[in-house]
Amino acid sequence: MKKTFVTAVILLLFSQLRAQERKIEFDEYKLPNGLTVILHRDKTAPVVAVGVLYHVGSKNELPGRTGFAHFFEHLMFEGSDNIKRGEFMKYISNAGGTNNANTTQDRTYYYEVLPANQLQLALWLESERMMHAKIEQVGVNTQREVVKEEKRTRIDNQPYGSIIGEIFKRAFKVHPYKYQPIGSMDDLNAAKLDEFIQFYKTFYVPNNAVLSIAGDIDIPETKKLIEAYFGPIPKGTAPIPRPNITEPPLGGEVRDVIEDNIQLPAVIEAYRAPKQGTKDYYAFNVLSTILSGGNSAQLNKVIVDQKQLAVATGAFNYALEDAGLFIIYSIANAGIQPQVLEKNMDSVVNALKTGLVSEHEFQKVKNQINTQFVTRNSTMQGIAESLANYQVYFGDANLINTEIKKLDDVTREDVLAVAKKYLVKDNRVVLYYVPKGTKSQYLKK
Amino acid sequence: MKKILVAILFLAPMALLGQITINRSVPPPPGPAKTIEIGKTENFTLNNGLQVIVVRNTKLPRVSVSLTVNRDPLLEGNKAGLTSMAGQLLRSGTTTMNKAALDDAIDFLGGNIYATSTSIGGSSLSSNFKKLFALMADIVFHPSFPNDQLEKIKKQELSGLAQSKEDPNSIAGNVVSKLLYGSNHPYGEIETDSTVKNVTADDIKKYFATYWKPNISYLVFVGDITKDEAKDLAETYFGKWERGDVPKMTYPMPKNPEKPIIAIVDRPVSVQSVINFVQTEPLKPGEPDVIPVRIMNDILGGGSSARLFMNLREKHGFTYGAYSSVNPDKLIGSFNAEASVRNEKTDSAVGEFLKEFERIRTNEVSNEELELSKNTLSGAFARSLENPATVANFALNEAIYHLPSDYYQNYLKNIAAVNAATVMQMAQKYIQPQHMYTVIVGNAKQIVNGLEKYGTIQYYNAEGNPVAAPVVKKADANVSGKSIIEKAAAAMGNAALANMKDLEIKGNAAAMGQSLQFVQKFLFPGYFEQTLSIQGMMLQKQLIKDGNYSVTAQGQNQPLKDDDKEEMDEQGSMLPEAYYLSKPGYVFTVKDIEPVDGKDAYAVEIKSPRGRIVTNYYDVNSGLKLKSVSEKDAGPAGKMVIQTYYHDYKAYNGLMIPMKTVVDQGRLKIELNVDEVKVNQGLKAADFN
Repeated sequence: MKKTFVTAVILLLFSQLRAQERKIEFDEYKLPNGLTVILHRDKTAPVVAVGVLYHVGSKNELPGRTGFAHFFEHLMFEGSDNIKRGEFMKYISNAGGTNNANTTQDRTYYYEVLPANQLQLALWLESERMMHAKIEQVGVNTQREVVKEEKRTRIDNQPYGSIIGEIFKRAFKVHPYKYQPIGSMDDLNAAKLDEFIQFYKTFYVPNNAVLSIAGDIDIPETKKLIEAYFGPIPKGTAPIPRPNITEPPLGGEVRDVIEDNIQLPAVIEAYRAPKQGTKDYYAFNVLSTILSGGNSAQLNKVIVDQKQLAVATGAFNYALEDAGLFIIYSIANAGIQPQVLEKNMDSVVNALKTGLVSEHEFQKVKNQINTQFVTRNSTMQGIAESLANYQVYFGDANLINTEIKKLDDVTREDVLAVAKKYLVKDNRVVLYYVPKGTKSQYLKK
Repeated sequence: MKKILVAILFLAPMALLGQITINRSVPPPPGPAKTIEIGKTENFTLNNGLQVIVVRNTKLPRVSVSLTVNRDPLLEGNKAGLTSMAGQLLRSGTTTMNKAALDDAIDFLGGNIYATSTSIGGSSLSSNFKKLFALMADIVFHPSFPNDQLEKIKKQELSGLAQSKEDPNSIAGNVVSKLLYGSNHPYGEIETDSTVKNVTADDIKKYFATYWKPNISYLVFVGDITKDEAKDLAETYFGKWERGDVPKMTYPMPKNPEKPIIAIVDRPVSVQSVINFVQTEPLKPGEPDVIPVRIMNDILGGGSSARLFMNLREKHGFTYGAYSSVNPDKLIGSFNAEASVRNEKTDSAVGEFLKEFERIRTNEVSNEELELSKNTLSGAFARSLENPATVANFALNEAIYHLPSDYYQNYLKNIAAVNAATVMQMAQKYIQPQHMYTVIVGNAKQIVNGLEKYGTIQYYNAEGNPVAAPVVKKADANVSGKSIIEKAAAAMGNAALANMKDLEIKGNAAAMGQSLQFVQKFLFPGYFEQTLSIQGMMLQKQLIKDGNYSVTAQGQNQPLKDDDKEEMDEQGSMLPEAYYLSKPGYVFTVKDIEPVDGKDAYAVEIKSPRGRIVTNYYDVNSGLKLKSVSEKDAGPAGKMVIQTYYHDYKAYNGLMIPMKTVVDQGRLKIELNVDEVKVNQGLKAADFN
C-alpha cells in the first residue's frame, strides 16, 4: 500500500516535470495602439510563422450584409498603399515562403511561414494591410467573383457541402450563428464600397488584433521591428460591436429533409451544446472521442463495422465563442433507409446516457486525446495560431500549455452527466440528406 | 542647402525608432541568412547488421519509428502486384491478434502503425512508445497473413485496375514504363488482373522471409527518445533478428531510342491527347548534378509560373496545365514532361514543348527566373527542417545512397552556387529531344497529321505492345449515305415496324456497381415513355404524349430545348434510321470504313435539321447499326465523347432489337441488357403518363 503511494507520488512528480519540460514559453505584451503581441522563440528550424488574428467573424456582421469577414480574407490580399495589386503573394513565394488565411464565425486569421531571415518582410506585409489596405471597387469586383466561385466549388457543388449551413440556420434563430461565414451572395452583391471601407475601419484595427509570431527569432530585435512597423498604425476610433445575444433553448426537436446531388442518404443530428471553454465543453470533447475517435470508436464499431449500415460516420464538437453544437452524422450504405440509420445512431448515443463507459474505453479515449493535444503543437504556424486563439477567446494564451489539464479532469461521471443533460430530443436538429427527387418519400411518415 | 533638403525629402517616409529604420515604400531586404543547423543524428549498428538512426527532438513528447528494408527493386513477373499488396497484408493480423484486436490495441495507445512491402512504422506519445514498438515488432516477427484479408485486399486492387484501364493517364503510364524500361525490368512491369490474382498469402509470406533481413535494413527513431533508450528497444526486439543473404539483383541498363519516336496509343474516344515526353537519365540521388538539374527543371516546368505552363496554358490555352520533372533514381533516373491537350492542338503542343526544350538548352535563363527558383527551393528546404523527420530522412538518404555526410549541410550553398551557365549545361545534358519517346494517348486518326515531322510514328496498344496503324478504308463510290441508311432501316425491320401497334422493352443497366432498371414503351405512332429507376426509385423519365414532351429527373421537370425534342422523336420512333428517312432535312455523309468489333462498318455522319451531329457505324455486310458516336458538352473539361455499341440483335416480329447495348463515356461505362420484350400487348394512351 505504502509502496504504491510512493510510486504514485514519484509518477506525479515525474509527469509534472515532463509537462514543464514541454512548456511553450512566450512573451505577451500590448502596443500603445492596442495591438496584442505574442512571441514564441524556437530555434529548432530557421523558420518563422507570422500570424495576425482579427477578432472579427461572421457573427459581427449585420443582417443583410453577411459574408463580410470572409470577403476580407480575399480583399486583404489585394494590396496596400505600398503593395501593388496582385503583388502580395509574389513577395512571399519569392522569399521562399507560404501563406494563407481562414475565417470562422468568431475570428479571421492570416499567416505567412517564411525562412527566419524574412521576418521583416512578413511584418511589412501584415502591417501594410492593417495600416492601409486597398479597399477599392476593382478589388471588390474581382474578389466577389472569386468568392462566388469558391462558394460554388466548396458548398453548392460539393455533395453534402451545405450541411453545416442547413444545420446552423435551424439550430439558431436569433444569434448571428444562424449565418455561415461564406455569407449570402446577394448581400455581397448589394454591398457598397463604403460599407466595406467602414467594416475595415471598424474591425481591422490594432486594438482588435493579435500579432502572433513563432519561430527562430531574436526577441528584442523582433520587438523593435514590431514597434517600427505596427507602432504607427492608429488605434481604431469606432467602438467594436460584439453581439450580445443569448439564444433561447431550441424548445423542441427540429426535423427536415433536404435534397442534394447525392446518391447515398445521410443523417445528421445536431444537439445544442455548451460554448467553448466551459467545463461541459471539455466533457463533450471526451464524449466526442468516445463516439468517433479512431477505428475502434463506438459509432464506427457499431454503425460501420458490426451492422454495416453506413459507409462513414462520425461526431464532432462544433463549439464557438457564444454557443456550440454537437454534431453526429452517418452516410448510409446503398439500400439503407435513413430511418434505420437514425435509430441505430440514437441507440449508440443513448447507451452513453444510461451508464458509465468502461474504464478501459475511457482510458483509451484519454490516451487518444493526449496524443492529439501534443500533435497539435508540432509546427510554428500551429503554435502561432493556437496562441492567438487562446488569447482572443479566453484572454489566456497559456492555455496552450494548460488546457490538457481540463480534459484530464473530465471523469466518466462528467460524460454521463453531459450526455443526459444535452443529448435529448428537444435539444436537437435532425436532418435527412436525400438524393434529389426523393424528398416526398421521407416527408410523409 | 539644396542637398540637405533632398536628404530630408528622402527621409520623410522613414520611421526612425531606436536603431531600427524602416522604409514602408519598399519591401524590406532579407536579414542575413541563418545558418541552417541540421539536427544531429546518432547512428549505430546492431550485431546482426541492422543500422539504427536516432534523431532526438524533445520539443514534443512523441516518438515515431520506421523500419526500412533497402532491397533491390524486384521483377515480379506473373505475380506483378505482390509488393503493392504485401504491406497491407502484413498489417492485417498477428498470430495472437486478429485485425480487429490489433486495431484496438493500437488505438488504446493513442498511436498508429502502417506497413508497406519495404517498411513498417508508427508513432505515439513517448509514454506509450515502448508498447507501440512491441506491437510493431510483433507484426514484423509474428504476422498471420490471413487469407480472408488477402481476398479483401485483392478485390480493392482489382477494382483499382479496372478503373485505370479506362483512364488515359494510366494507359500512358503503362506504355511509358514499357517503352523506357522493357518488361524485363522492374520499372517496366505492368500489373494485370491475372498477375494480381496469381498472388497467394504464401507468396507474400515467402517474400517477407526472403527480403526482410536486418543486414539491409534501417531502424529510424525520431522524437523524444535517447540513444540509449532506442538502443535498448532495438536490441530487445530486433537484436535476435537473424541476418541472411538477400538476393542481389542486376538488370540490363535501359537504352533511350536512337532517334525521336512518337508513340501513339489509339484511343478513339479521346477528346484530349495525353502527351508525355520521356527518356531515362543516368542520374542517381545525391549526385552533384541533382541540385542544378532541379533548378533547371523548376524553370522549365516545375509549376504554374514555369515556362511550359506559361507557354502552353497562359499563352496558347492548349491545356489546363503543363509540367516537367527530372527524377533521380538509384537504378536509373528519368525525365518526363507532360500535358493533356485538345485533340486539334496535339501537334502544335508537341511543337511548343520542343521549342521550350530547345530554348532552355541554347539560351541562358534570366536572372529573375533563376533567383525565383533558387529562393523557392531554399525556402522549401528551410521550412522542411521544421519537421524532425526531415533530418531522419536526410540521414537515411545519406546511408542508402552513400551521400557525403555533409550533403545536406551544403545543400543551400550548392543551390546558391548555381548560375545561368550551369542551368544551360544541365539542360543540354539531361534534355535530349533526339533521344526521347513522345508517348501520346489519343484519337489517332484525328491527331496524327502534323506529328510525323517530330519523329518516327509508331503505334502501341494500351499494354505497350506494338500494333499496326489504324487503317483507313474508303467506301465505294457507288455507296451513298442515304443508301447505307436505307439498307440499315430495312435490315433492322422497318417493314415490320410499320405493322406494329405497341412495344415494351424491359432491362437492366449496370454502372459503377449499381444496378438500374429501364423500361421503354412505344405506342405507334406518337407515344413514347422511357424510365430509369433504382430499387424502385425513379431516377429519370422521358415522355412523349399527345405532342407534349417532358423529361423528369429525380422528381423535377427538366427544361427542354428543341434539340432535345428532336432527339426524343428519333428515339421514340424506335428505329431512328426510318425516322431520318421519313423527315426532310437530314443530311448523310459517308466518312470511311472502320472496323467495329472486328467487322467492317460504314461510318456515316448524320446531321439533323437542327444541326445535331451523330456518327453511326453500319455493318458493311448485314447493314445493322454497330456503333454510334456523339459529343456532349461537359463544362470546363471540354467535350465528352459518348460511344454506344449495339450487340446481339434479336428479331421480334421481324424487328431487330439489340439485346446488349454498351454506353461508353470514357471513364464511365454502362452496360444495358434487355430482359423482356413484349410486342402488341395492347398498350393504350392511358399507359403513358
